[in-house]
Amino acid sequence: MVVTVYLLIVYDVGVERVNRVKSYLRTELHWVQNSVFEGEVTESQFRRIETNLERIIDRERDSVIIYSFRSERAMNRNVLGLEKSPLDVIL
Amino acid sequence: MNSAGLEQCGMIMTRKNYYITTDGLLKRNENTLYFINKDLKRPIPINKIYSIYSYGALTISSQALNLLSKEGIPIHFFNRYGFYSGSFYPRETLLSGDVIIKQAEHVIDHDKRIELARSFVRGAALNMRRVLSYYGIENGISDTLMDLDSSNSVTDVMNVEGRIRSDYYNAIDSILPEGFRIGKRTRRPPENMTNAMISFGNSLLYSTVITELYNTQLNPTISYLHEPFERRYSLALDLSEIFKPTLIDRMIISLIKKKAIKAEDFEHGMNHCLLNNSGKRKFLAEYDRRLGKTVKHRELGRKVSYRRLIRLEAYKLIKHLIGQKSYEPFVMWW
Repeated sequence: MVVTVYLLIVYDVGVERVNRVKSYLRTELHWVQNSVFEGEVTESQFRRIETNLERIIDRERDSVIIYSFRSERAMNRNVLGLEKSPLDVIL
Repeated sequence: MNSAGLEQCGMIMTRKNYYITTDGLLKRNENTLYFINKDLKRPIPINKIYSIYSYGALTISSQALNLLSKEGIPIHFFNRYGFYSGSFYPRETLLSGDVIIKQAEHVIDHDKRIELARSFVRGAALNMRRVLSYYGIENGISDTLMDLDSSNSVTDVMNVEGRIRSDYYNAIDSILPEGFRIGKRTRRPPENMTNAMISFGNSLLYSTVITELYNTQLNPTISYLHEPFERRYSLALDLSEIFKPTLIDRMIISLIKKKAIKAEDFEHGMNHCLLNNSGKRKFLAEYDRRLGKTVKHRELGRKVSYRRLIRLEAYKLIKHLIGQKSYEPFVMWW
C-alpha cells in the first residue's frame, strides 16, 4: 500500500546554493513561484527529497520549510494577483 | 515524517499525464523538462510525468528524449486530426523471455488463441451491455454473445464483435439528441461529431494502453483478437476493446448529455468532422479526470484508478499466459 502526501516547500537559502535547490526541486515538484514548489509525492519520494535537500543546504545559514498535507484536497489554494505557473496538465 | 497523520488514499497518481495541444518545443535543462511555446515556458518536473500525449507540432531535442528514456516515460504522437501516428517507446527495462515465449505460444496454438480472443470480445460485449443498461436501453447483446462459443476462427470471433458493436452504436443513438447521432460508424475521416469523438477517444485509449503495457513484461505486438501484424502494437488494440465502453463511450455520452461539448467544439468540413482545439482540450481534460477516478476493487479490497485497472488487466493476462490463473476479462461491476 503506497501512501502519498501533498507537499508545499518554501526556501530561503544563500545565493550560492539557490540554483542547486531550485534545479533539484524542479525535477521533483511543480514550480509555483520564486522559492515555492508543490506537488503530490509518495512517502519514499518525500524521504528522498528531504535527504537530497539536506545535502544541498548549509544547515547553519539556510532555511527550508516543508508543509505536508494528507492530500491536495486537505489544502486550500487561493491565488491573489497572478498565478505564475498554473498546474494544469493540458498545455 | 509523521506517518500517523497520513491518510491512506489508495490512489497512486503522483505521476501525471501531460497533454500538449499547442505547437512548441520540448527541451531538457538540468535534468528537468521544459515545454516552451509562444505564450509560455513551463518546467515539467521529470519525476511527475507518467506519459505525454502530443497533439500539436512538437519539436523535441535528443537530450529531452534521453531523459524521457532514462525515466521510462513514453510520448504518444497524434497528427492534427487526432489520429494516432506513433509513440516514443523507451528502451524496455522489464524484459522477460519467458513471458514472450508464452505469449507467442498462445498465438501459435489455435485453441489457446481462440480462447483469449473470445475473452476479449466477451469482456468488450459485457461492458457494452453495462453501458446500455445504465441508460436503460434494451439490447440483444446477450443473444449475439451466444454465437461466440461456436466461433472457431479468429475471423468468426471478430465478426461477432463487429455485429455486437454495430448493434451497440445503434442502441446508443436512441438516447442521443439529434445532431449527435452516430448513424454509420465512419473513420478516417469521421463524418459527424460523435464519430469524431469515438475516433479521437479510441486513439487516446489505445495510447494509454500502450503506456500500461510498457510498464509490464508483455510484448505489445503479440496479440490474440487482432492479427499480430507488423508496425502496430496490436496487443494494445486487444485490451482497448475491453475498456472502450467504460472509459470512452460512457464519457462521450455524458459529454453530449451534459452539453459540455457542443457543435462549436468541432471543425465541420465538406465530408469530415473533427474536434477543434477547444473540443480537444475539453475532451482531454475529461478523459484525464476519468483515468484518475477510483473505484473500489472487489478482490483487492482497495480503491484503484481506471488507469490502474488497465494495468491490472495486463497482469491478469500474464497470469493466464504462465498458467497461474485463467483470464477473466474486466467487466464494470459498479
